[in-house]
Amino acid sequence: MRRSLTRYLVRRGLQSLVLLWLATLIGFTVYQLAPGGPLQFLDDDPKRTAADYNRLAELYGLERPLLVRYLAWFAGEDWFAALPGGQDLQSGQCRADATRCSRGVIRLDFGRSLHFKGMRVIDLIAERIPATFLLGFSSLVISAVVGIPAGIYAALNRGKLPDHIIRVATVLVNTVPEWWIGLLLLIILGGYLGLVPLGGMETIGDGSLLDRLHHLILPALVSAISGWISTSRIIRFEMLEVLNQDYVRTARAKGLRERLVILRHVLPNAILPFVTGLSGILLLFLSGSILFEVVFSWPGMGRLAVLAINSRDYPVMMGLFVISAALGIIGVLMVDVLYGFVDPRVKYEA
Amino acid sequence: MTATNHLAGRRIKEQTYWGAVLNKLWRDRITVAAIFGLVVMVSLAVAAPLISDSVLGFSPTMTDLTRRNAPPTWASDAWPTFREFTRTCQSGGAGGCQWSLWGRILASSALGIRDCLTSPRGTCHWMGTDQAGRDVLSRGLYGGRISLRIGLYVASISMTLGVVLGLISGYYAATLIDDIVNAIIQTLGSIPLLFLLIILSRIFQPGPEGLALLIGVFGWMGVSRLIRGQIFSIREREYIAASRAVGASLWRILFHHLLPNVSSIVIVVGIFNVAGAIIAEAGLSYLGVGIGPPMPSWGNMMQGSLGNFTDAPWLVLAPGLFILLTTLAIYLIGDGLRDALDPWVK
Repeated sequence: MRRSLTRYLVRRGLQSLVLLWLATLIGFTVYQLAPGGPLQFLDDDPKRTAADYNRLAELYGLERPLLVRYLAWFAGEDWFAALPGGQDLQSGQCRADATRCSRGVIRLDFGRSLHFKGMRVIDLIAERIPATFLLGFSSLVISAVVGIPAGIYAALNRGKLPDHIIRVATVLVNTVPEWWIGLLLLIILGGYLGLVPLGGMETIGDGSLLDRLHHLILPALVSAISGWISTSRIIRFEMLEVLNQDYVRTARAKGLRERLVILRHVLPNAILPFVTGLSGILLLFLSGSILFEVVFSWPGMGRLAVLAINSRDYPVMMGLFVISAALGIIGVLMVDVLYGFVDPRVKYEA
Repeated sequence: MTATNHLAGRRIKEQTYWGAVLNKLWRDRITVAAIFGLVVMVSLAVAAPLISDSVLGFSPTMTDLTRRNAPPTWASDAWPTFREFTRTCQSGGAGGCQWSLWGRILASSALGIRDCLTSPRGTCHWMGTDQAGRDVLSRGLYGGRISLRIGLYVASISMTLGVVLGLISGYYAATLIDDIVNAIIQTLGSIPLLFLLIILSRIFQPGPEGLALLIGVFGWMGVSRLIRGQIFSIREREYIAASRAVGASLWRILFHHLLPNVSSIVIVVGIFNVAGAIIAEAGLSYLGVGIGPPMPSWGNMMQGSLGNFTDAPWLVLAPGLFILLTTLAIYLIGDGLRDALDPWVK
């Protein structure tokens, strides 16, 4: 058992590494595909000249062969100098100043932002990860705290009101963009009734815990909508499955109280699929964060993405893409491993 | 003898599969209402030039800078009162709202609606105007042309990809082809696709067709998985083995023997896909990377509300309601079809 777990972990770890590499490859390809190349942002400047293009192309080393650019982007160009004739393969800025050499995405160097002049992309992202995580985890907690009891209640009261509420809510999330619901609630609760702030993570100059909670509550509730609905649906379905099992009948036959039957015998088995569902919900938060963060002016990675897009800040976009892909892949891996600990029946096939 | 007479007298009606489906669909009131609703939305979109020209009297791109962010004409009297109401709420907390103002709001709205109905063409903005003074209602009608078109394109692209890849990987399950398809699905499934979609649509700045292609190319994985699972069990049946034995071509087995067995799933998933695509387009356009101005789409109409949504809530409300009505109708039709395509189950 132990050995197979190790082998499974190694296998899944390697798989995740390959996935990660594929994600960076996608990122690089998209970067290169841009019509006009990475310097397309210059088109926005009416005073640009052909000399500007050439100077920047030389500075960023864009005239080098594709393979060299990929190597510099992926593994860095600082070690090129050690190669015979490698100096010619370095970009202009690297030759001029060794601290400006690309260290490659493998060492979390995505270059510098074009919009936030001179800022390192990784610093920009790192600054915003906590906000995105705060929102994501709050809605994850709300999804579980609301969704699991709702699912249990609906399964035990089949065909009654809670069942119908879940069904109607499912239709709702499938037919309306959740960010639109958020926007409406923001207008009504924030703009008109003054119950919640109109956006942001804290009042400038305040930042107390209460103030932060006040800012968090609406974004977290809204971004948890699809999470708790899918959770309650999964739990309801699984509860109904488990309730028909022989061991539940046995438990009841031996005279166990219904409460104990549900809590000890049904629930632990019905909750397992929620753990598998977690990875899906996690990815949802990473992607969904963009729209929610824009609606609620939440200073996280999603808002940074939209800023970067509007200013054609390709290095930041690529960095965000690779980092969020990495976070997603690591999250899925963690959920897979967690599943094995929660459910001892899982056999790892190496 | 009596038995034959009995049968002859009752005239057993022959019922085909599709006849039974239609029959069951017709008896489902909600689905019939949804079909009616979708027909209305599609006709509104198709007739948008006619309606906005000869009924409303506005063009969707005609700007009027003297009337920017104007409330719906029928509410022009009620709107200041409503703002006064919200100010009382703001200042006194939720308990401080002066609910008595609603009498005046409702009364002046009713008067306004009556005036609007009798006013000449081109003077009443039923849903207000946007940040450039354009009529929101006629933009909404035109926006439907874009959003519905994108929904259809995306569904056809992702369904084609999903069905073909699902059929092949199901039929060749546990072979190299299946592994490759699975690897692609796993890769696409573990990266945040919205990020990628946003980057791609920013770089290429596609029109409606290009945007649909982008959304469709990244939206087939669920379909493919579903079809693969179904094919996996069907391919073991005797008639598949039989047709293989008599030398049927791969094409014939896939599209004549396997596909018809999953056609009901394909139809239902395809319909849900249309609704999903409309919502996806709205999100991308809201972020400013989907359909660009001046072409109206339900998503980019809301983009104009970014800075001033409390001053002009109709910019959020109107396009959202268009989306809600359309996708709700589509979803309910899909839901009804899911039941109806199993017509023998009572």
